[in-house]
Amino acid sequence: MKEEKSGTAVGACGELETTTLQSIACGGTGGDLTAVDAKDGKIVRIRPINYLDTYTEEELEPSMWKIKVGDEVFTPGYKSAPNYFALAYKNRVYSKNRVRYPLKRVDWEPGGDPAKINAANRGKSKFERISWDEALDIMESEVKRIVEKYGPYSVLTIGEDGHRESKNLHAGGGMHSTFMSKLGGYTREVRTPDSVEGWYWGAKHFWGSGCNKGLGMPAPPQTGYNPWHVLRDISEHTELIAFAAGDWELTQNYASQMWSRLLKFWEKVGKEFVIVDPFCNYTAVCHDTMKWIPILPNTDAALDFAVMYVWITEDLYDKEYVETHSVGFDKVKAYVLGEDEEGIAKTPAWAAERCGVPEWTIKAYARNRAKKVTASVHFSSGAIKGPYSHEPGRTHAYLLGMQGFGKPGVQQAFMNASLIGKETIARSTSSPFSSINQCRMFYPSEQKIPRTLVAEALKNGHAEWWGSPAIVYVETSEQFQMNSYPTTPETYAAALGTVSPELARSQGKSLEDLQAAIDEKLKNMPEFNKIHMLWSEKPCNMNCWDGGFNYQDSIRTDEVEFFVTNHQWLENDSLFADLVLPVTTCVEDNDAMGGSMVVSVRHDSLTPPACDRVGESKSDFEIACELGERFGVRDQIDMGMTQDEWIRYGFEQSRLGEEITWEELNEKLFYIPKQDPDQDQVLPGMRGFYEDPENWPLDTPSGKLEFWSEALAENFPDDMERQPMAKWIIGGPKEDGWSHDETLWGERCHDYPLLLVANPARFRVHVQGDDIKWFREIENVKVKGKDGYSYEPIWINPADAAARGIEAGDIVKIYNDRGTILTAAYLTERVIPGAVMVHKGSRVDPIAPHLDRGGAANLISPNNQVSKHCKGFAVSGYLVEAAKVEDAEMDRWKQDYPDAFARDYDPAIGINYNSWVVE
Amino acid sequence: MKAFLIDLDKCVGCHDCQIGCKDEHVGNDWSPYAKPQPEVGQFWLKVNQYERGARPHVKVTYMPVMCNHCENAPCMKAAKDGAVYRREDGLVLIDPVKAKGQKAIVEACPYHAVYWNDELNIPQKCTGCTHLLDGGHPISVPRCVDNCHVDVITFGEEADLDLDGTEVLHPEWGTKPRVFYRGLPKKFIAATVYDPETKEVVVDATVTATGERGTFTATTDDWGDFWLRGLPDADWMLTIEAGGKTKSLEVSTMEKDLGLGDVALV
Repeated sequence: MKEEKSGTAVGACGELETTTLQSIACGGTGGDLTAVDAKDGKIVRIRPINYLDTYTEEELEPSMWKIKVGDEVFTPGYKSAPNYFALAYKNRVYSKNRVRYPLKRVDWEPGGDPAKINAANRGKSKFERISWDEALDIMESEVKRIVEKYGPYSVLTIGEDGHRESKNLHAGGGMHSTFMSKLGGYTREVRTPDSVEGWYWGAKHFWGSGCNKGLGMPAPPQTGYNPWHVLRDISEHTELIAFAAGDWELTQNYASQMWSRLLKFWEKVGKEFVIVDPFCNYTAVCHDTMKWIPILPNTDAALDFAVMYVWITEDLYDKEYVETHSVGFDKVKAYVLGEDEEGIAKTPAWAAERCGVPEWTIKAYARNRAKKVTASVHFSSGAIKGPYSHEPGRTHAYLLGMQGFGKPGVQQAFMNASLIGKETIARSTSSPFSSINQCRMFYPSEQKIPRTLVAEALKNGHAEWWGSPAIVYVETSEQFQMNSYPTTPETYAAALGTVSPELARSQGKSLEDLQAAIDEKLKNMPEFNKIHMLWSEKPCNMNCWDGGFNYQDSIRTDEVEFFVTNHQWLENDSLFADLVLPVTTCVEDNDAMGGSMVVSVRHDSLTPPACDRVGESKSDFEIACELGERFGVRDQIDMGMTQDEWIRYGFEQSRLGEEITWEELNEKLFYIPKQDPDQDQVLPGMRGFYEDPENWPLDTPSGKLEFWSEALAENFPDDMERQPMAKWIIGGPKEDGWSHDETLWGERCHDYPLLLVANPARFRVHVQGDDIKWFREIENVKVKGKDGYSYEPIWINPADAAARGIEAGDIVKIYNDRGTILTAAYLTERVIPGAVMVHKGSRVDPIAPHLDRGGAANLISPNNQVSKHCKGFAVSGYLVEAAKVEDAEMDRWKQDYPDAFARDYDPAIGINYNSWVVE
Repeated sequence: MKAFLIDLDKCVGCHDCQIGCKDEHVGNDWSPYAKPQPEVGQFWLKVNQYERGARPHVKVTYMPVMCNHCENAPCMKAAKDGAVYRREDGLVLIDPVKAKGQKAIVEACPYHAVYWNDELNIPQKCTGCTHLLDGGHPISVPRCVDNCHVDVITFGEEADLDLDGTEVLHPEWGTKPRVFYRGLPKKFIAATVYDPETKEVVVDATVTATGERGTFTATTDDWGDFWLRGLPDADWMLTIEAGGKTKSLEVSTMEKDLGLGDVALV
């Protein structure tokens, strides 16, 4: 009924409103389509669209995928299911927190003079409005000065993943790199794997490089590393769906809410579900069929080993598969049974003491997973983002390996494996149908720093690590290669590669030519310098990534002579910048943004401006073009084309023309490519490997699942943290060589006895959307303290609260040796005792160094990374203590830091533009 | 007569309805239907959350509540000069001009569905998006309905809706609401049953709750869990039986749902 009654998708509606289509999402790959109605250049409403308003059912039929289970059929439906954010985006576009004009920090002056840059005041002193001419003058003079003085590599371009808005031509996240590349180079800030750490650092050594040739989530090399038809296989064959580190009802806020519909379909066809999480997450609480198993944070490896113990001792695993499809299982088996030198059997009783799950539930979990066809679903959060995450990453993978991974229904679902169907013109499970993005996103640079090591690099002047380590397009073996900042002749040479027939082939050169090319490069090695300018198109590292307070310290030094950010909202890292350039939101640009990942149907769309621009904002592409103008390189950036020409060019470069003409697309404004009639010929997920491991080998050294990795043993023989096979690792004192002591079995837990879980928030995507006032007034999104401030909630069990004299609504400080954040208490049964949950991503609101009122959890996350050789972040499952903030303490802070408390504050939106900009 | 049907069993707590209402009415002046809703603080449609049970048997009921467009609307009686009126289609509206200064309209609603706008000096509430129903806009259904992606809220002629087995909020008040609910929360009792000797969950145990308001039974599943759902508020004798062992507990759902945690069968 609703579908018939919902209105026109596009064109002029009524007399006053005009409607455009927009693909709004908090990621770079687009979302389910929305219609944006506007009047007099201002948005009136943002709503779902009905495809039938533009196409007939007959026209759409070949584009609509179907899943059939028995008599039940699941289809995407004709109405889009935009993500939460898209539906509230009016709040985001017209946020009181929008950066409307270029801003300069009041006590910073160009020139690099320590007396005039006032580095220590970053995050403290306010901003003033300047004109675009002044802003571009500053950019021009500072870039020139710094490049002349230190060389181009002294500019660190931060944020190749961008603002995470869905934009195509106008996307940020590398336009600064594109621009700097025309001036001779730049230091790349490498986006380290996020949300997949445990798989990337652990499971890649078990099942190979995986999706996108490097993500660590499983995909067969033979399909170009694409995991096709995984959700269909699960729908058709799986009996039990195990959510490990995943919260679907939450994660769908990324691009589409279609996933609620899929969960309901799965319930309808009788699937069973189990959710192992310290937090009774948003998926667990709203579906009656979901079984929640509370677990202490970051103890999943203990649970998994006990599951293996039950399977081995009760003969409940696929021995034949393990025999034919894997190597090294005997070592894991010996460890689990206590038949190794350690001699400790990993029984359910042993695990229960560690993970807080009762022995009987562990056994039931093991048997259910063995007796029912079980798939694993992973969508960010949980142990996969904690210290030593390679251990649970590997044990989760081992469980699949022991049950015939790839067998019908035994699959792993994840973001890039959530595509249902396969279009004839599809390039992969995640790529857009047309792309005109000009960012140097994921491009190598001859000098680089992993995002996790920027603070260390700035503080110490050098850093060493292994691998790039970029999130995608890197094979597992890359993790064995040492890198350094600054780039040395050794690491420079190593990055060029060793002359070999394989490398020659991959570059399409003869051996001689390859040798000559490498010699030439070595002879002309550029001069590499330390960084002195930071330029960010993703200014949220302090609460998106790890060790946030440490990061703040590192950019408060004179070494950083100039810090500029491009961003739409005045928040987080921008508060520590010297210059902030205002950026358009996606609905203000003339662009062609489709939707290609975790959407209900993938589409290509024309997305012209929906409304007038807010303030004087420009897109990152436009900013790069204007700077290019100043340096005489504009034509190398825009290629002399107008934006309309770019959009047309994108279409012409794509395969869309095989199915729709440019004229038709302009008339319809969106297009849903047709389903490939031969799509069944592509095997689902890991089926090929399951059926024929010889012809579908993995890209591990043996071509099989490696329970024991000989490569790890060879390359890191002394690594006690990430050993050749997963173990129960708790770390220990620094002086003994451990990276972490973040468990309840070490020393630090005596001072900090609670484990902080930083699951993603339901009404934010990472740090995005914390200023959406309509979300902030939803119950338990914020908790108003008695001082009127809307604090980020600390979700705490009544028992843990009572033990600390904490009552609902109290202002609570959460602290450890890295600093203190303020929150307010939300008492709930949804958290296991011993853990507290603070959703990651609340905006920072600095009171003083290492003291923050905004409740941004990652500020106090570990400064060390996953482990010694694994420089990914560890941002959940670490030690803290929580205490009620007494009036005397708050009064003292107010006395000591009066400016911080005097900033303009609006509880509806929190800190905002007015808090930080002087009139 | 128009009516809403809200099926709580389908709700996943996304709040799209609440946000859609805000998106439609905040900053948009739909006079004469309604003046703009303030930026925050009013909820012409609000999703209430009820956390129920105890670890590990916890569920949250999400419950959208709105103006009930009552047949016997107390707000209409409290209003002067016909400031609250019923349209031919049954929807109850506040006239923003006539209602100026009439705080009694807010106080009259037992459901607290009417809000006071200090700045405009008027009472405000759900209009059923009548400005959309009457045409001239790209959609012609209430925004809460259009935004819902799992069909929790349906809207239409009362006669066309499947109202079998539905309930209204507080029928005892005699207001005759036209917002109907399916799946209004009833109490549950849940637990994991285990054998303390073998340290195993007990599968297929028979669980019986007996009380003055009836007898309810359930069986423990593969996780040793039972969920007795749809219980009235009452005191119960809860009996768990399996393999010749029986355990009896006196429990009560008068105050709240019960998550009993791990229960040893001895």
